[in-house]
Amino acid sequence: MISRRKALRAGAGLAAVGALGAPAIAHAETATLKITTWGGKWGDIMKATVLPAFEKEFKCTVSADQAFPFMPKLQTSSKTDPLYDVFHTNSNEQWSALTEGLVMPKITAKEVPNVADVYPYAVSDKIVGVTIFTSAIGLGYRTDKGLTKPTSWKDLADPKLAGARGGYLIPVNSLGQAHLMMLGKIYGKGLTDLDAAYKALEQLKPIKLVDFTGQMEKMLLSGEVSEGVIHDSGVYRYDGQNQAVDFASPSEGVLSLEQVLNVTPGSKLRELAFGYIDYMLRPDVQKMLAEAVWYSPANKKVKLDAKYDAKLLTTEAKVATLIQPDWKWYNERKDDIDARVTKILKS
Amino acid sequence: MSALPNKQPFDAGRAAYLALNVALLFFLLAPIVIVLVFALNPTPYISFPPVGVSLRWFDKFFGSAEFMNALWLSLWVAGCVLVLSILIGGASALALARGNLPGRAFLTAFFMSPLMLPAILTGLALFQSYLLIGIGRPVWGLIMAHTLVAVPYVIRTTLAVLHNFDRRIEEAAAVLGASPVRVFFEVTLPLIRPGVFAGGVFAFIVSFDQFPVSLFLVVPKGETLPVVLFNYMKFDLDGAIAAASMVSILLALSVVLVLERLIGLKAYVKL
Repeated sequence: MISRRKALRAGAGLAAVGALGAPAIAHAETATLKITTWGGKWGDIMKATVLPAFEKEFKCTVSADQAFPFMPKLQTSSKTDPLYDVFHTNSNEQWSALTEGLVMPKITAKEVPNVADVYPYAVSDKIVGVTIFTSAIGLGYRTDKGLTKPTSWKDLADPKLAGARGGYLIPVNSLGQAHLMMLGKIYGKGLTDLDAAYKALEQLKPIKLVDFTGQMEKMLLSGEVSEGVIHDSGVYRYDGQNQAVDFASPSEGVLSLEQVLNVTPGSKLRELAFGYIDYMLRPDVQKMLAEAVWYSPANKKVKLDAKYDAKLLTTEAKVATLIQPDWKWYNERKDDIDARVTKILKS
Repeated sequence: MSALPNKQPFDAGRAAYLALNVALLFFLLAPIVIVLVFALNPTPYISFPPVGVSLRWFDKFFGSAEFMNALWLSLWVAGCVLVLSILIGGASALALARGNLPGRAFLTAFFMSPLMLPAILTGLALFQSYLLIGIGRPVWGLIMAHTLVAVPYVIRTTLAVLHNFDRRIEEAAAVLGASPVRVFFEVTLPLIRPGVFAGGVFAFIVSFDQFPVSLFLVVPKGETLPVVLFNYMKFDLDGAIAAASMVSILLALSVVLVLERLIGLKAYVKL
């Protein structure tokens, strides 16, 4: 016969087992995937449509951090319990994160089936993780200033544009960093020819510098600059709004500004994280986001509406014009480059 | 025949003094005027002269759930910081001024140290500490962080009042039979109140506008207004930023005016 004391003890034991098991069950039921993501129009679409649909399908919640800076936050958190499961940044930061062991080197079709359908640039040796979208960095220009459409990167050095050309604070902006490498290619022996790049940068003065691409957009819209380095989506987003701005792809090629997703090795939700990346690479999700923010989808199977298809990089031939900088090489020299370009642009 | 009005001789020193004041006022107010012009200008970029007057950016600001949530969170946090700073800062200042504490100079410097450290490092250090002890990034953690950088303001203003405090008034109350508690609430507190609340105003404004400390401590869907504005600016640099700035300025001004009406900060200014 079971005594009252034994029954109570057994009950307490069951309760303890239940309590121990409960967090795991609750975790499975309400798993929260922690991601980083952009703000602006992208963030609006993500919050309004993309993430709710993902949460519904995968029966989870997503905590999307839009507050920069992502990298120091990830660096500060524990590698075994990282602040993020999925790390969305541009390519340069992914390389920094890889150096510190904070993200996976590659995302393959084994983990994310839709990777099988991406263009080669999206998983090239210049990429850590997997690219889900790219933009083309080229030249934005005013169409009402009597300028001919730029055809070469060299056009930015036209003396007529003195004080009316726009660039970036190179230490803090990856478009500025990519442009510096492009100067090495155009005026020297290649993307890594820094001496040629520095010399060419000197010739671009006087130049108006900004921190963010959003500021470059506004400077072009207001006419404060007549021509500047910018990504195509930063110009195409004003399509149909009667603005006197256009985008030009230089004949030497456009620089690739990749939107990269990656998974943190210590993530407790790796499968869900891979599921999220796979979801972001689905043709329907890619189409929705591409047409909302004018990003070129990485998935080859995406069929965009004619208006977008005409301008974005949606064929093998078009993506062949993309030039991908070697961010590993750049990051290793970043401190020296920052010091040098700051000296050049300050003087 | 009426007497001619006295004509004061030209005083170069006074004229220079006035000119300097006008220049200082211009220096302080010009940015606010520029922000106002940008907030009312309908163009989606900074342009001068403005092409018209429109409230579209205020509409956008007040119509955005993201901005409104951030605004209310900032107000809530700043309100809590105001109360905590007054309690902690006021008590600390009293202890420093009256406590005959050993190492008083060191303690004063210690309490002021959050002002000496770059705020971004304070934010990063707290973020790391919170993660290490496993509490994540709760709102109360953000409030504590803001309080840390706001308390020195209350201490400083309260110490200034206590420095000019005539202790014979307290002694007179005690001689007349008032208990120490009664002396504190009926003599000491009313006299130091302007200093404490002036510090409180600073604490509120420091918290409401706090960006570097908040940067690492906010969570998704729980971002304060300065952080939301910073992130917004990276993608959309339009007049909504200026409208938000005007709202911030007006809110800070309102707090100062309300406290002036309730407490009479002028009394402190005269000290």
